[in-house]
Order: sequence, then structure tokens, then C-alpha cells
Amino acid sequence: MKTEEATLARLTAMAQRGDRQAYGMLLSECQTWLKGYFRRRIAPQHLDDLVQETLLSLHRKLASYDPNRPFLPWLAAIARYRWVDHMRRLYKEEDEAIDGDIPAAPEEPAIAARLSLERLFSYLPQAQAKAIELVKVEGLSIREASRASGQSESLVKVNIHRGLRKLAAMIEKE
Amino acid sequence: MNAMRTDTENLISGLVDELQPVRPLRFWRGLGLALAAMALTVIMVVTLGGVRPDLAAGRPDAMFLIASGLFLLLGLAAAVTVVVMGSPRVGNSHDGWRWAAAMAGLLPLAALLLALGDFHAAWIASEPEHGLLCTVYSLGLGLLTGAMLVLWLRRGAPTSPGYAGLLTGIAAGCAGVFAFSFACPFDSIMHIGLWHGLAVAVSAFAGWLIVPRLVRW
Repeated sequence: MKTEEATLARLTAMAQRGDRQAYGMLLSECQTWLKGYFRRRIAPQHLDDLVQETLLSLHRKLASYDPNRPFLPWLAAIARYRWVDHMRRLYKEEDEAIDGDIPAAPEEPAIAARLSLERLFSYLPQAQAKAIELVKVEGLSIREASRASGQSESLVKVNIHRGLRKLAAMIEKE
Repeated sequence: MNAMRTDTENLISGLVDELQPVRPLRFWRGLGLALAAMALTVIMVVTLGGVRPDLAAGRPDAMFLIASGLFLLLGLAAAVTVVVMGSPRVGNSHDGWRWAAAMAGLLPLAALLLALGDFHAAWIASEPEHGLLCTVYSLGLGLLTGAMLVLWLRRGAPTSPGYAGLLTGIAAGCAGVFAFSFACPFDSIMHIGLWHGLAVAVSAFAGWLIVPRLVRW
């Protein structure tokens, strides 16, 4: 379903004034939008968690949306922040193998391309993007990622660390 | 029907029940608060410490005007950036303050270049017996602006807490130095470049170190 910028902005402004019906509609729309947004850049078993964490952040930081500004760039900034934070936390946990293919993402509207996670990834050096993609998105172990990428195991770790740090610094970058 | 709802739908339902009206962060209100904090700091200095003799006589020294103007501009540029960071948005740029920093950085840079010729004379010219007090007072006076910006960031959603902390520190340090300049009687480039510049540097470091813990979300 295509989300409409003006409708979302209006619903958010109403939610800021305490309109619960508008807020329910807003959160449902955002849930759908976020699932599409994250789908290609997070392992499937983490998708719901990440969407829920982002909705919680939206709830806690509702005041940070300025109704005079576009809505989706604000939501995308919140989503990117949660995504990087989520990957950093996963980085500290043991690697988990993922079975099966990652489902293909729906076609992304061109207007949202500048907000996308793909766009953010494109700013990373190739080796860092590859290491993050293999370990954090596809769920390979460090050893498997090392074999798949041709990087040493320690280099894979360094590239993940540096890549995540770089992503964290570029969250609002278009 | 309710048993078939997903976790996310239950979460949404809970969040809707919790909703309370909120006052959106607006740029001009944030900037107004930062300016009010800076103005209040200047009023405190003038009221409690009095003003420099040249100001009292209505003939401000050129060095005072240039140096305090540069610190004010840097403080404003950093404060504006912090206010903007409270409302995140893909497409925001937070680099404008760097030009103001480069201009204000000329003060310590000029002091350093002059000190290369005769370090001892430069040290004496910096009024070291008063200098550290200038730094400490400036740091203390910056706290009001710093606290206001931290509160703003806590209500907002800064996506780069470390960067936001650094800029909060710079804004607070510059506000403190600017306010204290109204009372500080020393106009040499060595004094301003070293002790006033040191206050901004220390404040920036403290902001970078402390603020992220207070504003992370």
C-alpha cells in the first residue's frame, strides 16, 4: 500500500494534539511502511522486533516531529537510527544462521529512494558494506563471511565495526 | 478476534491508549530558548560582576568587539544546529557551524603563531594569574545555555548523540565566554586566544563526553 506524505503528516499533527483515532491509523500506516522499509536490510526473524522498536521510538519521540516539515524524512531518520542501533546490538550477540532466502522487497517508490537504507549503504566502502550485509543481514558467521568475501576474519570484524560507526554518523544523510 | 491480533497490533493498541497530547518541537521556539539563556547569562554577569571600564565609558575596545562577536557567532551557529538536531530528518545538514568555528579558531591560532616568537613573553601577556579564572567562570556561565540545549535534545530525537553533545558543549562554552567578556578587562590576543579559547575547547570536550549519555534514546 502506498503511503501518502500529506495524510501521514496530517495524522501525526492530529496525534500530537491527542487524537487517538488518528494515532491508531498513523501507527498502522507506519507499521506497513516500516516493514517494507526494513525488509531488505534485516534478517526476517528480526523484522517484527525492529518494526516494534521503531514504533515505540515514534511514540516516545512524537514531539520531535515538526508539523511544518515533511513526515517521511522524519520517520526515515527514526527508522535508520533504530536500524543501526539494532545491528549494533546484534553485533554483540552470537551470530545466528538464517535458513531460506530473504523475500524480495516490493518495488520502492522512486520518491522514497532518497530515504532508503540502500541509499545509506551506498555511502559505505564496498568491503564494509559487504561485511555488514553478509553477517548482519544474511546471518552468516564471521568465518562464513570471511570465506564468502575473501576478507580475513579479523578484517570482517573490523569492517563491520567501522561500517556501523559510519552508518551511525550518516543517519540524516540523503 | 482479540486472540488473533499480532504482537505489533497489540503494541499499537497499547500505544494508542497511552497517547497524551504533546507540544511539537518548533525551530523558532528552540532558538528563542537558546537566545534567552544566553541573554540571561549576560544579564547575570553585568548585574553581579559589572562591566568593563571601556564598556562603562561607552567606548568598547575593538578587540573586545571582534573576539566577543566571533564567540557569539560560533555559539549561535552551534546552538542553531543543536536545535535542528532535536527534530531529525533525512536530508538535514549539520555542517554550517564549521565556518563559524573556523573564524573563531583564528583567535587561538593567532595567539599560537605570535607565541612562537617568544613563548615567555606570550605567556606573560596572557595574564596567567587571571586567565584560569576567566576559563573557569566562562565554563560555569555556560551551564545555563548547555542545560537548556540538553533539555531540548532530551525532548527531541538526535540521531548523532556524540555530535549533538560536542555542539552543545561548543554553544555552552561560547555563551559563557561571550557573557564573561562583558566583565573581563583583558584584551590581548594572547589572553583571549589562550584562556577564552580554552574555555570553549574544554566545554566542547565535556559536552562530547557527558551529553550523549543524557540524550541517547
